Amino acid sequence: MKNMTKLSSEEYIRYNRQIILPEVGEEGQEKLRNAKVFIAGVGGLGSVSAYYMAAAGVGAVKIADRDRVNPDNLNRQILHHSQDIGKPKTASALEKLRQLNPHCHVQAVQEEIREENIMEFVGDCQLILDATDNAETRRLLNRASVSKHIPFIYGGINGLNGMVTTFIPGETACFECLFPHKAVEKTSVAVLGPVAGLTASVQSMEALKFILGMGGLLKNRLLYIQCSDMTFKEINIRKNPDCNICNTAKKGEI
Amino acid sequence: MSRYVDVIVNGFNEKVPENATISFLITHFKEGDADLIVEHNGQFVYPQKYAAATVSAGDRIEFINPNFGG
Repeated sequence: MKNMTKLSSEEYIRYNRQIILPEVGEEGQEKLRNAKVFIAGVGGLGSVSAYYMAAAGVGAVKIADRDRVNPDNLNRQILHHSQDIGKPKTASALEKLRQLNPHCHVQAVQEEIREENIMEFVGDCQLILDATDNAETRRLLNRASVSKHIPFIYGGINGLNGMVTTFIPGETACFECLFPHKAVEKTSVAVLGPVAGLTASVQSMEALKFILGMGGLLKNRLLYIQCSDMTFKEINIRKNPDCNICNTAKKGEI
Repeated sequence: MSRYVDVIVNGFNEKVPENATISFLITHFKEGDADLIVEHNGQFVYPQKYAAATVSAGDRIEFINPNFGG
């Protein structure tokens, strides 16, 4: 049931700097309040996107992660503080997000995302924000996105580089159009904090634009951010006619 | 005896055999990532096309390693 009530005076004040944007306005703020977003992972990318979703007044945010906070997470996972070491990441995230914005309903699930639970995790969320740390989980998110017909905002980081694109079922390529192979898992990638911040900020912007019904999304454009020389390059992508996941003829086999 | 042509690979001028395939270049330049992204003259190349797609003089090829960290 959507919350159709007008914004309260407290909400007007809190979100004033975005409500005065013509692209947002009162109507847009109500759309954000009625929105439900699934954030897969609250590590480097998820820390930033969860903060921005809550801060913007997204009404409901569902977060999932299997890990506990480690000391070597803290250079980039800015939702987690020194005193959180050893805590489940979702509990740490929940605490901070509630402090940031008590109006945002946060649902935290401390569990690994697997084939058996992915559909339930995504539930009735209207978009998937990717903040996972491996290709395998991204494949599951992609399948949920295609099957539920909701956008999947991919973001990935490695070293000084980041990548973002917005996959929209029926309109754009999907994750497996680009990456049909099973990647060899890499553990403990090197990364400098702002690379995660930059990448997740682009993803967050994409999420808010989608909720607000704005154009200009990264559709069929893979943004490749190289912080070593601060270049932002776009790679044109297209649906892969041989894709096993989003090819219309093969749908239903997921 | 095959002819060699000048192409640009990841920003560098390289001489490669005329009509070399993307598959050949991946091996030649020792690109090892299974999920490698290949861009040929500004267009993404599907992995299933690597064996058939050939390069010509002046082409630009970019090999980009995917980012899967989070």
